[in-house]
Amino acid sequence: MTSTLGQEARTSPPASRPDRRASLTFKNKLGRLDVKYSPYLYVAPFFVLFAVVGLFPLVYTFVVSLNDWNLLSGPGEWVGFGNFAKELHDELFWNSLFNTISIFLLSSVPQIIAATFIAVVLDQNLRARTFWRMGVLIPYVVTPVAVALIFSNMFSPDGGLVNHLLALVGLDPIAWKLDTLPSHLAIASMVNFRWTGYNALILLAAMQAVPRDLYESAELDGAGSVRRFFSITLPSIRPTMIFVILTSTIGGLQIFTEPRLYDAASVTGGGAHRQFQTTVLYLWEMAFQRQNFGRAAAIAWILFLIIVMFGVLNFLISRRIASADTRITSRQAKRRLEAARADTAKTDAVKTDTR
Amino acid sequence: MTRTSAQARKHKPMGMARRPGFLTYGILIALLAGGAYPLWWSFVVGSSPTSVLSQDWPPLLPGGQFWKNVVEVFDTIPFWQALLNSVIVSGVITISVVTFSTLAGFAFAKLRFRGSNALMVFVVATMAIPTQLGIIPLFILMRQFGWTGTVGAIIIPTLVTAFGVFFMRQYLVNVVPDELIDAARVDGANTLSTFWHVAVPAARPAMAILALFTFMMAWTDFLWPMIVAPQNPTLQVALSQLQSARYVDFSVVLAGAVLATLPLLILFAVAGRQLISGIMAGAVKG
Amino acid sequence: MNHSRRTKVVSAIAGAASFALLAAGCSSGGTGSSSSTSSSGPVTLTVTTFGSMGLDGLYKSYEAAHPGITIKANNIDTGGNARTDAFTKIAAGSGLADVLAVEEGWLGAIQNVSDQFNNLKDYGADAIKDRWVPWKLAQATDKSGRIIGYGTDIGPMGLCYNSKLLKAAGLPSDRAEVATLLGGTSATWDKYFAVGKDYQKKTGKAWFDQSGFIWNSMVNQLPEGYYTSAGKLNVTENPELKVRWTQLAAANAAGLSAKQTQWDWNKGKSFTDGKFATFMCPGWMLGVVQGQVKTAGGDAAGATAGWDFADVFPGGAANWGGSFLTVPKQSKHPKEAAALAAWLTDKDQEVAAFKAQGPFPSVVAAQTDPSLAAATGVSAFFNSAPVSTILSKRAEGVKAQVKGPDDSTIQDQVFGPSAIALDQGKSGTQTWNDAMKLLDQLVVNK
Repeated sequence: MTSTLGQEARTSPPASRPDRRASLTFKNKLGRLDVKYSPYLYVAPFFVLFAVVGLFPLVYTFVVSLNDWNLLSGPGEWVGFGNFAKELHDELFWNSLFNTISIFLLSSVPQIIAATFIAVVLDQNLRARTFWRMGVLIPYVVTPVAVALIFSNMFSPDGGLVNHLLALVGLDPIAWKLDTLPSHLAIASMVNFRWTGYNALILLAAMQAVPRDLYESAELDGAGSVRRFFSITLPSIRPTMIFVILTSTIGGLQIFTEPRLYDAASVTGGGAHRQFQTTVLYLWEMAFQRQNFGRAAAIAWILFLIIVMFGVLNFLISRRIASADTRITSRQAKRRLEAARADTAKTDAVKTDTR
Repeated sequence: MTRTSAQARKHKPMGMARRPGFLTYGILIALLAGGAYPLWWSFVVGSSPTSVLSQDWPPLLPGGQFWKNVVEVFDTIPFWQALLNSVIVSGVITISVVTFSTLAGFAFAKLRFRGSNALMVFVVATMAIPTQLGIIPLFILMRQFGWTGTVGAIIIPTLVTAFGVFFMRQYLVNVVPDELIDAARVDGANTLSTFWHVAVPAARPAMAILALFTFMMAWTDFLWPMIVAPQNPTLQVALSQLQSARYVDFSVVLAGAVLATLPLLILFAVAGRQLISGIMAGAVKG
Repeated sequence: MNHSRRTKVVSAIAGAASFALLAAGCSSGGTGSSSSTSSSGPVTLTVTTFGSMGLDGLYKSYEAAHPGITIKANNIDTGGNARTDAFTKIAAGSGLADVLAVEEGWLGAIQNVSDQFNNLKDYGADAIKDRWVPWKLAQATDKSGRIIGYGTDIGPMGLCYNSKLLKAAGLPSDRAEVATLLGGTSATWDKYFAVGKDYQKKTGKAWFDQSGFIWNSMVNQLPEGYYTSAGKLNVTENPELKVRWTQLAAANAAGLSAKQTQWDWNKGKSFTDGKFATFMCPGWMLGVVQGQVKTAGGDAAGATAGWDFADVFPGGAANWGGSFLTVPKQSKHPKEAAALAAWLTDKDQEVAAFKAQGPFPSVVAAQTDPSLAAATGVSAFFNSAPVSTILSKRAEGVKAQVKGPDDSTIQDQVFGPSAIALDQGKSGTQTWNDAMKLLDQLVVNK
């Protein structure tokens, strides 16, 4: 009986085997299609949308910049690179660029230093760690518009808080809104207020990734905390620091909100003498006050090229420094780890001996 | 000496470094005070009459006028509408960015396809393109379509970001082991279910972080909403309109600034820890 | 534990975002202050004004008289910012209010796009066009004869002065005496500055707040200002401008300027702590002074602050500013909007606006209205000065100056910075040259 069934069983599969093979192949085909082509479906939404809202505007900006384009009446005649030439000769454009870079430097340099310092302070074994970290981040949560309004009032030349504090120390009041450098300092302080805590946390993360052995062995060797900071901490976090500088560069060259709201009563964006008019602010003025879209588009493209240039420069410099440093750091780290291991091995040997 | 330190090193658990002293905590308190003071100051002035600004010294305690000023704020700008607009704008942008970034990031990280390297380089390169530079043609387009003044016009330019894709890819490359994907494949799962059942659960922390950051970026955006939809303002634009309308009554303006900051403060209180771990996680990966 | 908290955050954001999506769908993109399309149903009209036009108190009574109409008003701080706002919205094709206030300084630029504004003749302008001073009506009429605006106020200029400060300096402080002191009907800028120098010597304090407003007054007084009567640019070709600039520079050198920031004045404090003794006052500025003193904590009755208003102006009759109410074509309710604009510029309303904040009516019947002379509101603030009578007198002989398309740009962005530079101590020659350079960059070689 069993044998007959077995025989039957044996005879039936061969009949259906070719079918199953056929269906397997079909599923296989689908699977292969899936593996080969579905990735494109996954990246397509991003690229399609990006092409529409990211790339196309960039290209269109270029097209606009080649024309005499008025805000209200629309495109006029073709001027080729005429708008670019006008902008490169435009004193007000270079002024805005000067302001932008000045504010950028005044904000990033003290910011990085302060952020590093704060990160060092936070990089200790604190009680209520999260509380202090959140405390440092509070300025980031206050929106830029609110920050601009608050600081704009604090830096008021006649009755502002800052000039009061200066008077308390016996210094003369500074014309925060009229003079160029003070206005840059004031706006830079707004940017710093917002971003220092944020960058401090980033640097803190990098610092926490530094192995503690390095510090301890350095301490053993008699290095003071300052020396440890400069020889171990700084080199180890330099890649992250460069990353911070890179991102703040791209952001810092596009500041708009703070200078716009700093002296809101002034009709000219950026102060009556354009003493703190950044390039994006000038772009906005050119487009919506002077109603010249063509020149504004040229400004946009020149700024874009400058940002890319800064970015590439930063990236190249950072790669060189980072690779040099990781070589040095890893060499140092290797040496110290070997020394520490040798030490432990010795004491272990001593221990086993004494046992 | 070596022996005692070695022994000390062995016996002391790794995390027990020296406890920081008063100087450290003093500095931290100073930082906290400095960071919170501007907000406190605006609350104080926002609850007093504007004449308090012409006094010699800034007042330290709030006056009793906060609610009165708040009423003026509501009278002057459409606060609730602006708040709703901000929520809509930031929410939609966040969902869109996170969704498409995770999809694309997963593909770049774990799937093999022709041209993935070139496309990835392209994505990294476009990270440097600032969104503000496209405002002119975007404005022209919005006008042509008749979409100026709508919330949709505010949302459209930021539906996807190259940074989002880069961020998700970096995270997924490390977090989802290739073996897991292959195993799922062997089990007969197609790409979609691999994505849904393997990648997404693993990516959730990064998605949350990206969501938080995208939300904050969209919330604080000022230039584009101001030019394309001033009549349907987001909270930031409404605040600047408050300043323009009440430039004489600056205490009302500051009361409005306090109100405008409250939503983010609440978000910070709720999700602050995530925000911090997100910033720090992103740092190490970056 | 961590994972579930993160998930909570994600779901919170996802929840918020889905709610947002739903809300977005429900509010159909949110077109803001749009109202129902049926003209017989309830209508919401938006009004955008700037500065202190005195209209805020009037909306409620219009709403009461016209059930079904709600008015949403928006006020912008300066005319300059209002201009940027208006042109951005004209360019965007949406967002303009139903009733839009336009200042005469940029009316010229608006006239260039007058096709974006309704011809009020279609909504009954012909019936009421005689209510205004003729030159005001002419300003609001475009090249094709369409009336695009209803005049609200004009800006005849008188002199605000602080009687307390003048008294303390031993100078006459009574209104009539001050007028005589400055030369009465033959007052000149030279005399004004001479008296100022005298004041400065006696008290060591400044005479006027900042050079910008002095300059604007000087220019507005000329028969031809930045543009010729034919509408051609007229800055370098206008010798009067250079002469007056030199005068102003000399006054600055003598320390007569208090170097204030216009529209800030230290949150109004400068009006109450004696920084300057005189102030240029077209009708609409009266409300500004009152508001500034109130903000600084001075009492609204003004008696303690000491400000008064004299019937004299250096150089004779001058008009600075004046606005119009227009109905942009973007409005979905032109008929109702035009009706509102006509009502707001009717005799009684212009009188009420004047009483509230001082803008002097452009409607003839309002100018001669006896109730205008009542010593309430603004008048009470200025030591019960007969403000309306003074302004009527000051309006006599005013010749409307032709304002070209870039007039406000030249005032604010070409000469504005140089006026500030004068205050900061730069020489007249250098500041003039700087202004000419800006003129070239901003206006001539756009």
